[in-house]
Amino acid sequence: MQADRDQQCQPVVPGIFRASSGGQGLELVGGHCPACHRYYFPRPPRCPYCLGQVEEQGLGATGTLYTYTVVRVRPPYGLPSPYALGYVDLDGNGLRVLGLLAPESLDKLEIGMRLRLAVGQLGCDVGGAPCLRPYFEPAPPHPSQGMQPDV
Amino acid sequence: MSDVYLAGVGMIPFRVHKERILVDMAGEAAALALQDSGIDPGRVDMGFFASATTAVLYKDVTVGQNVYWQLGINRIPIFNVENACTSGSTGIYLACNAIAAGQAEVAMVVGGEKMCVPEMGLLNSGATELDTQLGLVTPASFAMRAARHMAEFGTTLEQMAAVAVKNRRHAALNPMAQFSKPISAEDVLASPPIADPLTRLQCCPIADGAAAVVLCSSRVAKETAGALRVRAWAYCTGDYQNPQDMARWGTDYRTCAKAYELAGLKPGDLDLVECHDAFTIAEILHYEALGLCEPGQGGRLAAEGQTALGGPIPVNPSGGLLSRGHPPGATGLAQVWELAVQLRHQAGPRQVPGASVGLAHCMGGDKDGDSKSCTVIILTN
Repeated sequence: MQADRDQQCQPVVPGIFRASSGGQGLELVGGHCPACHRYYFPRPPRCPYCLGQVEEQGLGATGTLYTYTVVRVRPPYGLPSPYALGYVDLDGNGLRVLGLLAPESLDKLEIGMRLRLAVGQLGCDVGGAPCLRPYFEPAPPHPSQGMQPDV
Repeated sequence: MSDVYLAGVGMIPFRVHKERILVDMAGEAAALALQDSGIDPGRVDMGFFASATTAVLYKDVTVGQNVYWQLGINRIPIFNVENACTSGSTGIYLACNAIAAGQAEVAMVVGGEKMCVPEMGLLNSGATELDTQLGLVTPASFAMRAARHMAEFGTTLEQMAAVAVKNRRHAALNPMAQFSKPISAEDVLASPPIADPLTRLQCCPIADGAAAVVLCSSRVAKETAGALRVRAWAYCTGDYQNPQDMARWGTDYRTCAKAYELAGLKPGDLDLVECHDAFTIAEILHYEALGLCEPGQGGRLAAEGQTALGGPIPVNPSGGLLSRGHPPGATGLAQVWELAVQLRHQAGPRQVPGASVGLAHCMGGDKDGDSKSCTVIILTN
């Protein structure tokens, strides 16, 4: 059911994540300037440093929580109440990006924890239609082991 | 370049002004400022009007011309300024530039907001921005700075609460403050949660209100009793570099350093500061950017009472945004209003003894974990 609903929903903003059919290989999508070697999320129309073209660039799906908050006032865009936001230091590209944090993880959040990207129907778009948003959920401490967190 | 002087200030109390419209509130504040300056309205040769929400809430534009018309000021160049929470102080920056460049002898800045209406939600970074669509609201930005500051420096909830308690204690001495009932640290921490760790009493309320200032050249200042010298006006936008250090706000540090350089002054020369305490953690971050303490020591500075009236460097003797409320178009002007009253030694029970150097600091907007604008203005008597 959840999967059916998700398939009908559109991303809140097009082009900010991608996954192959079946949900494998989910990752954030941003940009990379080949001249300046800078990464961006989201992808800007041109590189603000050299005004050159920015290539589409996969930014991976894992990172570390830099800081976070649980928002307890009336949420915008039909997000759950309360909901959590954090800045996440992505692995491999040095970017620190804003992201929603999994609604079921609110009491497990801790600066420095490992996170991985997920996508699901979360709130509505600007027009009020249910939509897909990327969010981060707790991940195992060692990404290479591929284990579930034991919390 | 001409030196720039502050000749007069005017302000109406910030409240929920349910029965009033913006143009009348702003006109009253402007008339008070003119009266305070003793300068004839006919000598004003440039005008600025600052408001952050009017175009969004009322679809009303070029409001400044309506405000200045009430004062019989027309024909001259009038500019409408929107710059989020620094709208008012950005107006001052522009007016100072105009006078310094010889484009105006007398320039006015009027700012106001009529925002206590149901359509006004929480401030955000702009509806078309990805951050906003991912759920970022302004209190959340500051809550995340607070969480990081606590993790890196050991800043405590009690230290943050001390900022709110101190500013409210100051407000009890200020008839212009909206909220003047004393509060305890326990009250602050037990107030409803907004965005963890920030509670309601750590977040400034919105308000309706207006304020105005009259600025002039040194030539006009010679005829104006009690004019104060504007020693520096600095304005920086963010650098939006990724990653941003959310516990050491680069744009804040950069703007403060620029203002000190322009004024030829250092933190130890200040007698008082009005800073942008939109949230308790913000005031702590600003102490550090202003060089009132070492990075990471802002919480301790507040808890030790060093920024309270009677301490070595009183911050927000007016009670700040936390007690006054925050109509963005008027806030930067209200800060300068307080500096003027203090530097003229007319602040009554909240007077900083012998005050001769005052600094007003304002910050606004949010982009990519950075601020879109930061202004610092330094006045001397």
